[in-house]
Amino acid sequence: MSLLKEPDLGTPASPSTELVNVDIDGIRTQVPAGTTVMRAARAAGIDIPKLCATDKLAPFGSCRLCLIEIEGRKGYPASCTTPVADGMQVHTQTDEIAKLRRNVMELYISDHPLDCLTCSANGDCELQDMAGAVGLREVRYGMEGANHLDTPVDDSNPYFSFDPSKCIVCSRCVRACDEVQGTYALTIEGRGFDAKVVASTGENFLDSECVSCGACVQACPTATLMEKTVIDQGQPEHSVLTTCAYCGVGCSFKAEMKGDQVIRMTPYKDGQANHGHSCVKGRFAWGYASHRERVMDPMIRESIDDPWRKVSWDEAIQFAADRFKALQEQYGRKSVGGITSSRCTNEEVFIVQKLVRAAFGNNNVDTCARVCHSPTGYGLKQTLGTSAGTQPFDSVMDADVIVVIGANPTEGHPVFASQMKRRLRQGANLIIVDPRKIDLVRSPHVQADYHLPLRPGTNVPMINAFSHVVVSEGFTDDAYIAERCDRDSFEAWKACVLKEENSPEVVSRVTGVPAEDIRNAARLYASADRGAIYYGLGVTEHSQGSTMVMGMANLAMATGNIGYSGCGVNPLRGQNNVQGSCDMGSFPHELAGYRPVGDDAVRGAFETRWGIDLDPEPGFRIPNMFDAAIAGTYKGMYIQGEDLAQSDPNTQHVEAALSSMECIVVQDLFLNETAKFAHVFLPGTSFLEKDGTFINAERRINRVRPVMAPRQGKAEWLITQELAQALGYPMNYETEAEIMDEIAALTPSFSGVSFQFLDRVGSVQWPCNDSAPMGTPIMHIDNFVRGKGLFVETDYVPTEERSNRKFPLLLTTGRTLAQYNVGAQTRRTDNVVWYHEDLLEVHPHDAETRGIRDGDLVSLHSRKGEITLRATITKRVTPGVVYTTFHNPETGANVVTTEYSDWATNCPEYKVTAVEIAPATHRSEWQQEFTERAGRRKQIVD
Amino acid sequence: MLTKYDAAIGTEIIQSFEARPEMLVQILHGFLERFRCVPPEAVPQIADELNLSRADIHGVVSFYHDFRAQPPGETLIKICQAESCQAMGSRALTAHAREVLGIGLNETTPDGNITLEPVYCLGNCACSPAVMVNGSVLGRVDEADFDRLLDEARG
Amino acid sequence: MTTRIFIPRETSAISLGADQLADAVAAAAASRKVSVEIVRNGSRGMTWLEPLLEVDTGSDRIAYGPLTADVVDELFDGGFLAGNKHPLCLGPTQHIPWLAEQERWTFQRCGINDPLSLDEYVAHGGFSGLAKAFEVGPQKAIAEVTESGLRGRGGAGFPTGIKWQTVADTMADQKYIACNADEGDSGTFSDRMLMEGDPFTLIEGMLIAGFAVGATRGYVYLRSEYPLARELFSKALTLARQRGWLGTDIEGSGFDFDIELHIGAGSYVCGEETAMLDSLEGKAGVVRYKPPLPAIEGLFGKPTVVNNVVTLASVPNILALGGKRYAELGVDRSRGTLAFQLAGNIRRGGLIEVPFGAMTLRELIVDWGGGTMSGRPIRAVQIGGPLGAYLPASKLDLPLDYEAFSEAEAMIGHGGIVVFDDTVDMAEQARFAMEFCAVESCGKCTPCRIGSVRGVEVIDRIVVNDHRDANLELLDELCDTMVNGSLCAMGGMTPFPVRSALKYFSEDFTRVANDGAGVAT
Repeated sequence: MSLLKEPDLGTPASPSTELVNVDIDGIRTQVPAGTTVMRAARAAGIDIPKLCATDKLAPFGSCRLCLIEIEGRKGYPASCTTPVADGMQVHTQTDEIAKLRRNVMELYISDHPLDCLTCSANGDCELQDMAGAVGLREVRYGMEGANHLDTPVDDSNPYFSFDPSKCIVCSRCVRACDEVQGTYALTIEGRGFDAKVVASTGENFLDSECVSCGACVQACPTATLMEKTVIDQGQPEHSVLTTCAYCGVGCSFKAEMKGDQVIRMTPYKDGQANHGHSCVKGRFAWGYASHRERVMDPMIRESIDDPWRKVSWDEAIQFAADRFKALQEQYGRKSVGGITSSRCTNEEVFIVQKLVRAAFGNNNVDTCARVCHSPTGYGLKQTLGTSAGTQPFDSVMDADVIVVIGANPTEGHPVFASQMKRRLRQGANLIIVDPRKIDLVRSPHVQADYHLPLRPGTNVPMINAFSHVVVSEGFTDDAYIAERCDRDSFEAWKACVLKEENSPEVVSRVTGVPAEDIRNAARLYASADRGAIYYGLGVTEHSQGSTMVMGMANLAMATGNIGYSGCGVNPLRGQNNVQGSCDMGSFPHELAGYRPVGDDAVRGAFETRWGIDLDPEPGFRIPNMFDAAIAGTYKGMYIQGEDLAQSDPNTQHVEAALSSMECIVVQDLFLNETAKFAHVFLPGTSFLEKDGTFINAERRINRVRPVMAPRQGKAEWLITQELAQALGYPMNYETEAEIMDEIAALTPSFSGVSFQFLDRVGSVQWPCNDSAPMGTPIMHIDNFVRGKGLFVETDYVPTEERSNRKFPLLLTTGRTLAQYNVGAQTRRTDNVVWYHEDLLEVHPHDAETRGIRDGDLVSLHSRKGEITLRATITKRVTPGVVYTTFHNPETGANVVTTEYSDWATNCPEYKVTAVEIAPATHRSEWQQEFTERAGRRKQIVD
Repeated sequence: MLTKYDAAIGTEIIQSFEARPEMLVQILHGFLERFRCVPPEAVPQIADELNLSRADIHGVVSFYHDFRAQPPGETLIKICQAESCQAMGSRALTAHAREVLGIGLNETTPDGNITLEPVYCLGNCACSPAVMVNGSVLGRVDEADFDRLLDEARG
Repeated sequence: MTTRIFIPRETSAISLGADQLADAVAAAAASRKVSVEIVRNGSRGMTWLEPLLEVDTGSDRIAYGPLTADVVDELFDGGFLAGNKHPLCLGPTQHIPWLAEQERWTFQRCGINDPLSLDEYVAHGGFSGLAKAFEVGPQKAIAEVTESGLRGRGGAGFPTGIKWQTVADTMADQKYIACNADEGDSGTFSDRMLMEGDPFTLIEGMLIAGFAVGATRGYVYLRSEYPLARELFSKALTLARQRGWLGTDIEGSGFDFDIELHIGAGSYVCGEETAMLDSLEGKAGVVRYKPPLPAIEGLFGKPTVVNNVVTLASVPNILALGGKRYAELGVDRSRGTLAFQLAGNIRRGGLIEVPFGAMTLRELIVDWGGGTMSGRPIRAVQIGGPLGAYLPASKLDLPLDYEAFSEAEAMIGHGGIVVFDDTVDMAEQARFAMEFCAVESCGKCTPCRIGSVRGVEVIDRIVVNDHRDANLELLDELCDTMVNGSLCAMGGMTPFPVRSALKYFSEDFTRVANDGAGVAT
């Protein structure tokens, strides 16, 4: 193993298809027209010295190291800004050029500290490399002249430091912040010799507009912007390619290592989801893996009121197995079940659901996708035939009109947001449907054409109004519909959306959005050559989540916006492997590949392979499990890496259910909220210790590779396998690869997938099989997977959860850039400097009428419960709407949310809760209990 | 001439250019005319109203010699330092100015009365050396002329 | 009857007391109950005679100057309203040899009209060039300009017709005309004089350019050091708009065009065309690399004609009188006229528009300029601004045309000529060239950003004989690096004045007695 150095061709590839011939130092080479001489030279194996050029940024031409000679032209043009011409003859190495480059380098070094040996970039410094390449031997100007050597270091960012004394003003950081990340937080201050890089108006990085995505650090050719881990520990010595374990974008990273110590995570340019970009979480927030609170020993306890007792793996696993068996004997086969984790690998997930089906002998398996994107799976399956998004992320670069509904990409999916912003800066139009003024509505260099700030819970009428306009104003793509969609369902849907109740004018009263805006936005989308819809949990986490998903699919089909690049219906999935955990058969009614457990043929295949009869009856969904638990018929549960107690709605109800169970096995990195109700704790592994695959929101199967041995001594799949064996079911995989082979053998859409294949091609988007050996970036190209696209009528059934005089406000929830979901990981990193407590966003008007000032403690109560948190007064929310995040357990955001859920999939209605707020002086009752209980339930004795 | 920053006036200036980002340099001139400087408080406001980043604005403000962050002294004297005026003794004139004012270039007298700045050509080269006093140009300025205009400035 | 009196409203005239003169004349006339109309015209370019007063006697315009307010009563007493003699009377203006012997083409109206009177502008042939363009159509209009041999007067001397043709041939939904009025070169003021003295000519030139290449929007980038030009030109724009010379369907031609005036903010490098474009886009004036040429990808990424004020102002006559007429003036590849500007230490400074090659540099300086103002011997002359070479007195017998100058490693540039007498310290001038580059560099490319600062330091070491030979060699290599390595002419040409100073005036580079042996290693 060695450090993977990615080649830098200096300038981006030329899109041209026309080829031209060029002669560089006597080597003839053929490149696309418009290619720069620098890139052409590298293609021919000739490295031209460079500092300001890098192939992730547009050419700049400032460093003047890459000067060359071209026959028939006078002077020394820069190879990074000079496009090749057919028959051009280039010389990259002549005596004149050598002298010129050396003298330019001499100027650089005349204003650069001569501390290479003690410099943090020593060994990984382009300036150092170039000084060597041009053969600089002395600085005749001396070092006494004007310089910047005494400029102070800015250490404000927790992850990287900024040392201007080492800056060569190549602007790569500034350009990366603009072109790659799209935040425009950096600039060049002043001019001439005084020109220097600053953040915002010259304040320190932490106070500036910087979002700490790391693009500038990545772009810096010197030690000016440097990871603090490298400054502390020195250069890494080998790297391992793996996949980020945060959001559903699934960024590829190089884990750069010293032995089994991670020195830094750097985004991988060949990563098809991120193309070398990253966000503050994946790039920097991986320290939780070695956080002191991580549990390293298996533990058990008789009752949840006892302290934990550290035991051996065997004892813990046997203890769990015995309890499960006893429970099944006493309460019946179906009294136990399991939950798979969307954070774990497909392989780990697959065998947990296999354990439930084969070893427990029932289908009581569900996954956290239940509480996020289950409506996506259902809705897209019904209409199009596949439970997944239709496009690759890159497709957005072809979109003319982008509609973002109930998603906040710049916070939740930052790396994709940067790509979307890039397309927006190229001129694509943007429509935002969201109760809040998210950054995409208006932020530097981005301005939505329409923001429709609808009342929470009114997505369906909104999408119906869009369709109403499309149909009534003749925007339907009739040829497309006639050729590809189901006629009768289309007619029925047409009649449905044409109803008066779905006209923008009527819908305007329901949503609170002006009819004219709805109309114009609908027209904009409908008249687009390529219109793309992106959505998130703001669509699914409603009692009509599935209806809304189908409503969007209807609209996209009606306008012919599926089956091409730049179009589609695209879920921005929350967790790193939520797509995979669903694909792996984590739902009670479906086996891997979304095939009904009731289907004899499908089930038969699994029975043969697994050598055991499977229950044809679908099992419990998570909410059913809770209800059954409270009813006393559901007693034991194996929970793989999910924190039900914090993430599921109506916390008191969840806690009551969990407390009433007799065997809860939690497999996790930390003693999470759910563990407070557990009897067995099986320490899990972080993504840095896993060997397997994640599947991101674009159906891309990415490899996850271990960079260190399991810290707690056992791979998670092995824990599950040993539990299965202890339960009496023979499970004998040797490796993770074997598990994937079984998945491939049993799942048609995965039949072409194997670790070997992935290691060869990098990644692939399912379906990947004989009919699509290299995978399927865009779905439904010539026809829909289900055959004819099915239109589904989407009548609006409002939620039961209504605001009234007692609860006049609507609470909706979401997340922030620095934190991730329940915060188990990010709360244990320095990301807390950006966001350390859940705040309640309140509109100035609502705050004023209640005498609430910015920063006040307020009590937030709903029909379900009450919590206290700090208010922040902002116009991001519309009057009548309040907003908070659910990153901190002690906040207990879900204490107030209800268990109303999607009619089709039971996905909870997190996004709509009627509440009232009032100034408060102390934490709520639940919160005080929480703190008290936290101590008690987490005690450990050796 | 305004001294204290007033955001309402800021908005007025920005709107007079329909908040067009490409008018940024002209907008900054608008601030210069109203406040005799680009007040630091204005930067975030301009950024917000043009939908640009604070960094974008700061980069432009700090690039141009005209955009100072603090207002100059009541009388702003610019002495041309370019070749044509050098040929007619602007170096000596500048030295004289520094001596009688007791300040250097880009400095303001302690009483806040006079700010002395260099300028590179006022296009008055056929009658060098040239000096600009609060916007009006003088030609063939000798030391006596300079002392006279100082007296006028100090009233 | 009312007598018309002309007193220039032009920066230099005012800097020499023209306003006070006008006030005095008005006051005297009032107290004497004589009716006069004071017209604030542009300058005739005879700055050495400013403030110049002209009386319209009906038959002639009689000139008096240079005047001061305190001779006004004398003038009235002497009956100057009738054009009577006076020690300061210069006779009929157009017979003053200094002016009479010029070939006024671009500046033909400058100083004659009230700059803000559209009627006078039209009366003096204004807009006939535009009418011609409308008559012959865009392609023929470009052909006329090409035939005229007109080259960019900003300094680079690129053939204007070819530039226009490129923009015309580039397909785009929007094209622009960007006029460069960032006249930053010391010793030059022709752009300013034209914008103050005959602004409608520039507007007409831009209209023709826009019509010819298919552009509907024009921008003028004027430096902030020219407040009067700003005031007068923006008034001219308003008047032209009011009278329909700017806007939609101009003169029923169906052609739409309007002009926006942008003011620079103290940045010499913004005179470089790509830096100017960035500044026009509201950004820092940082130089862009070329290609792409602005004619293909210019302002806001659209095809853009970038021309200097004098270039565009030369166009109306070229259309009105024909490119051939213009091409008949001048020599080989330097066709037409150039408005030279005599500046620095010169007795008769001002603007002289003559055909290329009509005379030598020495004739211009000595015969027209009258030698130095100080009366001391000429020692050095810098032509073409701060990036132009210094020529010694012995090298002044150069014909005034582009080619002859480049052979002498000098450049005509924008036509500014700065004369120095024998008191000049050329090491100080060389140092200043580097210092100026350091002050004005945009900071993008390394040779200019760091090189200029090192240049100052190295020269400082040379003049005190600190490792003199080594530092002379280093300075020479630094000049090579800047010439060959810089992104634009700012860093690329700064070495010209430095090297010429070293070449012709090396004796100035030793300030202390040569103890080189002692210090040098």
